[in-house]
Amino acid sequence: MSKLQRILNSREARKLFRDKIAVVALVLIAGYLLIALLLMCGVLPPKAYADVVGPSNSRGLFLSENAEKRYEIARTAMLGKVKRALQREDVEVALDEVHLGWLRVAEKPPEELKSIVEESLELQRQLKAFERLDDDPDAKALLTAFEQKTNQLVAPLSGADYFMHNAALLLGTDAQGRSILFRALYSIKVAIQIGVVTALVCVLIGALLGSAAGYFGGWVDYVVVWLYTTFSSIPNLVLLVIIAYAFTTSGSDAKDTLLPVYIAFCATFWIGTCRVVRGETLKLKQMEYVQAAKTAGFGSFRVLFRHILPNTSHLMLINFSLLLIGAIKSEVILSYLGLGVKGQPSWGLMIRDAGNNGDVMTGFFWQIGTATAFMFVLVLAFNILSDALQDAFDPKHL
Amino acid sequence: MALLEVENLVKHFPVRGGLMNRVIKQVHAVNGVSFSVDKGEIVGIVGESGCGKSTLGKLIVRLLEATAGAVKFDGHDITHSSPSALLPFRRRMQMIFQDPHASLNPRMTVGAAVREVLAFHQIAARGELNTKLDELFTQVGVNTDSKEKYPHEFSGGQKQRVGIARALAVNPEFIIADEPVSALDVSIQAQVLNVLMDLKAEFNLTMLFISHDLKVIDHFCDRMLVMYLGFVVEEMPCQDIHADALHPYTRALLGANPVSDPDKRSELTVLEGEVPSPYNPPQGCPFATRCDLVTDQCRQEMPPLVELDAGHRVACWEVNKTPEPITAAEV
Ligand SMILES: Nc1ncnc2c1ncn2[C@@H]1O[C@H](COP(=O)(O)OP(=O)(O)O)[C@@H](O)[C@H]1O
Ligand SMILES: [Mg+2]
Repeated sequence: MSKLQRILNSREARKLFRDKIAVVALVLIAGYLLIALLLMCGVLPPKAYADVVGPSNSRGLFLSENAEKRYEIARTAMLGKVKRALQREDVEVALDEVHLGWLRVAEKPPEELKSIVEESLELQRQLKAFERLDDDPDAKALLTAFEQKTNQLVAPLSGADYFMHNAALLLGTDAQGRSILFRALYSIKVAIQIGVVTALVCVLIGALLGSAAGYFGGWVDYVVVWLYTTFSSIPNLVLLVIIAYAFTTSGSDAKDTLLPVYIAFCATFWIGTCRVVRGETLKLKQMEYVQAAKTAGFGSFRVLFRHILPNTSHLMLINFSLLLIGAIKSEVILSYLGLGVKGQPSWGLMIRDAGNNGDVMTGFFWQIGTATAFMFVLVLAFNILSDALQDAFDPKHL
Repeated sequence: MALLEVENLVKHFPVRGGLMNRVIKQVHAVNGVSFSVDKGEIVGIVGESGCGKSTLGKLIVRLLEATAGAVKFDGHDITHSSPSALLPFRRRMQMIFQDPHASLNPRMTVGAAVREVLAFHQIAARGELNTKLDELFTQVGVNTDSKEKYPHEFSGGQKQRVGIARALAVNPEFIIADEPVSALDVSIQAQVLNVLMDLKAEFNLTMLFISHDLKVIDHFCDRMLVMYLGFVVEEMPCQDIHADALHPYTRALLGANPVSDPDKRSELTVLEGEVPSPYNPPQGCPFATRCDLVTDQCRQEMPPLVELDAGHRVACWEVNKTPEPITAAEV
């Protein structure tokens, strides 16, 4: 029987798979992990989440906008860009460079484009005469004509570009006209990356320190316990903020990478794992198979790594799951405070942007809503999984 | 020739508590135990649970550090040897543990557990590990086809056999069996005891056999030590313990283990009274609180272990006074 088969057949695994909600959570997590993996392989080009792909603050699900907004969109989208390109010396090159996300200038001779631009500008002038665009039927008709005219400047999309363009606008755009969906998707990669790296490092540190403290006792135990009681007496978030702030203000090259975030997280997150692994080791070292290993003359390292640590693997698994969530949530908070992720999207940054731009005040909930929903589902799924893991490994729980 | 000599062995466990996690009291688990075991002998240690039998065993194999006293193996004092100095002795003495369910690493196949010992001590070359393993498993009666199975797939009796195989892997001369069958079903106990008997002859083993069951000790051992609250109260050969046992505690234990002979069942004495706390053992005889023969002297002074017959030592003021062994009528 292979190791994997043994694990899947174990009592704990069967208990876990009997829990329907846990299975759903597992599937969701697998989905997130898959997306993160694909994003790491670069399936999403940077322009998808970093560039302007449409008008600012447009609504998602292609919901219709009010007349003012429609006017704003038609006016700003391609019209201005094409107009400016046409004024340049190297018209051909300039026109070729014009784009808005996946949209490009229609392949028409510059003269024709010029006339479309002029006609559009004429329509725009007429529209400006109206005080309000909403209620007036004349204005409505004029607006539709204006939209159609400006649309003639745009090359029709097909295939993958058509798909990407619509996907980018599916959940609307932020204040800078960037795709909310793609930014939220890309944040999965950032979140999972920070979560996995932090959880791995912290479980490793925690398990090593905890088992060494429990097994050797004496001064080793004294030092480790002193370390974690000291660290855990500082409020977690305060420490995170201090470390992240120190990096941000130090002006070192690392300040724009994720390094400060990793350091801040790894400094504190190992404590929980360390504490439970130490407790388990204190219990395990009294077990007769550990006594037998010592009687056989095995050295401390062999006893620790072959006979004690493998038997704490369920604790490591549960703690990995808990830490992953802890790191993702803290990342969002740090980013919201402007001390976390920089130079790439993150749910925390999206929420921060939404707040700074007054989205919420003006009733534009697409950005904050999307970021929160993406995070909520992941955190909820992991919380359910952690609980299910704890139940599965709890012998008293059937 | 004595293979093992234990001299005045003492083990106190500090109990921590209070504000600063200070040592607030000491558990007196083993209180100055002395005895020796000759080559080829099986010596039993009997006593109620908590009287320090396991602690004594662990002190001898250096799983615990003695508070005072000495353990000598084959003439070498190993009480304070360093781990490296101890390694050759690890190969010569092994321990079989009480709880077969806890004595195997759940994350290792039973074969891997024994192979690890074989490889560590270079008992067999890398290519011959499995041959040697099969040989051991056959000797203890475990199916060689199940060597890649994990402990939870085995019954208690099978696990205990694997535990015995692991202890025998280093080819030891001396084995401490700490209640090797008391966690097993009665029907399995006899089988495992028979395996131990066979192996004892085959490997020419010397054994220290720990049990709380006088019947098993009587059946299995050449000589026995009776322990009470960390003290040895009687040491005697196991020829006819029903007739020879002198200490009131041993006699009470015999009563607690009724035998099939109806004449002997009449000796039944019932143990009454409190077992003194091991935290602060009484000043006098530890058994005084439950003894029928108790006198003022017993409560004041600890009786010394006095040799009455060859190899028969008793620690009891009353028994040592009486020239004749106590018989059923006198009790
Ligand atoms: N590691 C320990 N720490 C503190 N007290 C212990 C420890 N091990 C055993 N004891 C105490 O020592 C006494 C003897 O225990 P033990 O040797 O296990 O008895 P037995 O094997 O005869 O049942 C008991 O009172 C027990 O509570
Ligand atoms: Mg015991």
